[in-house]
Amino acid sequence: MSKILIDIGSTYFKVCEKDKIEQYFRNFERNIFDDFQNRCGDILSQYAKEDIHICSSANGGLSTLIIGLTHSFSLKYATNIAYNAGINIIDTVLYSHIDEYTPPLEQIDVVIIVGGIDGVENIFDEKLLHYIRQISYHNIVYVGSDKSHDFLKENIENIFIMQNIITDKLKVKGEELKSYLTNLYQQDIMGKEDIKQLYEFTANQIYSTPYIVNSSMGMMYETFDVADPFILIDIGGATTDIHYSRDLVIDNIVSESEYDRLVFKKLGVFKSRDSLVFSAKNNEYVYELLEYLNVTENILEEHSQNATRVLMLLSIFLVLYKTSLHHNLYVNLQLEKLNSIIFTGGITKILSQEDVDMIVKFFYKKLFNFNNIPTLILDKEYKIWTLTMLKGS
Amino acid sequence: MKVVTGVVGNDIHVVANRLIDISLQERGFDVFNLGVNTYLEEFVDAVIETDADVLLISSLNGEAEGWCRDLGILKNRFDLSKVVFMIGGNLSVGEVSIDEIIPKFKNYGFDLVSHQSDLNEGLDKLEAFLKERS
Repeated sequence: MSKILIDIGSTYFKVCEKDKIEQYFRNFERNIFDDFQNRCGDILSQYAKEDIHICSSANGGLSTLIIGLTHSFSLKYATNIAYNAGINIIDTVLYSHIDEYTPPLEQIDVVIIVGGIDGVENIFDEKLLHYIRQISYHNIVYVGSDKSHDFLKENIENIFIMQNIITDKLKVKGEELKSYLTNLYQQDIMGKEDIKQLYEFTANQIYSTPYIVNSSMGMMYETFDVADPFILIDIGGATTDIHYSRDLVIDNIVSESEYDRLVFKKLGVFKSRDSLVFSAKNNEYVYELLEYLNVTENILEEHSQNATRVLMLLSIFLVLYKTSLHHNLYVNLQLEKLNSIIFTGGITKILSQEDVDMIVKFFYKKLFNFNNIPTLILDKEYKIWTLTMLKGS
Repeated sequence: MKVVTGVVGNDIHVVANRLIDISLQERGFDVFNLGVNTYLEEFVDAVIETDADVLLISSLNGEAEGWCRDLGILKNRFDLSKVVFMIGGNLSVGEVSIDEIIPKFKNYGFDLVSHQSDLNEGLDKLEAFLKERS
């Protein structure tokens, strides 16, 4: 029997049956389960639970706060591992200056504390505890010197102690932390009440869509006319994800996977529209960009088809900007070396080839003074997410 | 005793770096070798992460001056009063008097400066300094 693939997005449900993909706009007045049951119940009833495969990106991603001893080692290593686990870094704190940092107001999914090779003593003290008491978090994990285990266990409730990510020779050893964070990401999806209910439809594990899309990176050559090095940008309603070959990362220190990904939790065009607009307004190129698109700032407040189109273009610009050398908070990719960029997600239904050409040309001209841009490929049928799931059958 | 070492800045004299590493180990030091092309901030960060007793920076291309002049600023950011800071190798481009070089680097924050001297001679000096300090 053939199988049916389903992607639960924050804005659309996508259903793939025998190579044919249908999508259904979400009714936000209903919860995911009821809405999905209502729209797709008849189709699903034709399949056995074993043949129904679901992935979901409706949850966004995880937010992280990393407290580390130095920029060059503990913070750098932990940040890199967290990126590679697919979660969002929202902040890093240099421990020696922890008094000067304002604790984040929003709830943090996971706090990571790191510092020192094994054997180094007296790294953390009351300053750390004071800071921790001021923040709200779901999980807290320690991956530094073994000599701090007792102090942290005694003073921080529910702290999860793991292997030090800094080896005795100051190298990175990130497998255990990466695995923990990846599992957390997965649990985050499964823990969402709406997603939990979807297990009534399927006997298979529900995966995160970014994970599924990332796993399909090696299959792009079979499906698209793509030349290495390339990146894949998935812009949806709640998040924007960028998937890239590790060869494009200048400061490359983790080596398990060939392709990595970043999830930008606040750059979606529907569910996280406000934060996208906020991010756009704070970008140094925003006014030039709006002029280039022949619109005014007012477009950002509108709720029209054209406003959505402009937001999608801004989202492409911002995700490229945030991974470029002009922005220090995220992983820096060597975008000047790219040969191809693939676009997938909701944007492929709204933007035309000319639209994406236009915005990418603006980006390359502004940031690199290049007149030539990589080849741009639109996944018009929105089938990338199905590649891994189909192969797994 | 722990020593962080490496070659500072845009210097790639890897053979000298390896010889320093081996010589330090021979003398019983626990060595953290950051290799060539290392920035001053990375050296200081490595001292903090390892709780090292000594930072030994080497330079052969004569450009250490430009790379090390911020040592004082970095030392002020952390409590590194117990750490011994040493630099050695060829510390100038062209002919510059040793009487000029040593005060300059000491002024940057180095406790020991070894310019164009034999490696073992420099390490003897380090050991003597550590002994005197203890």
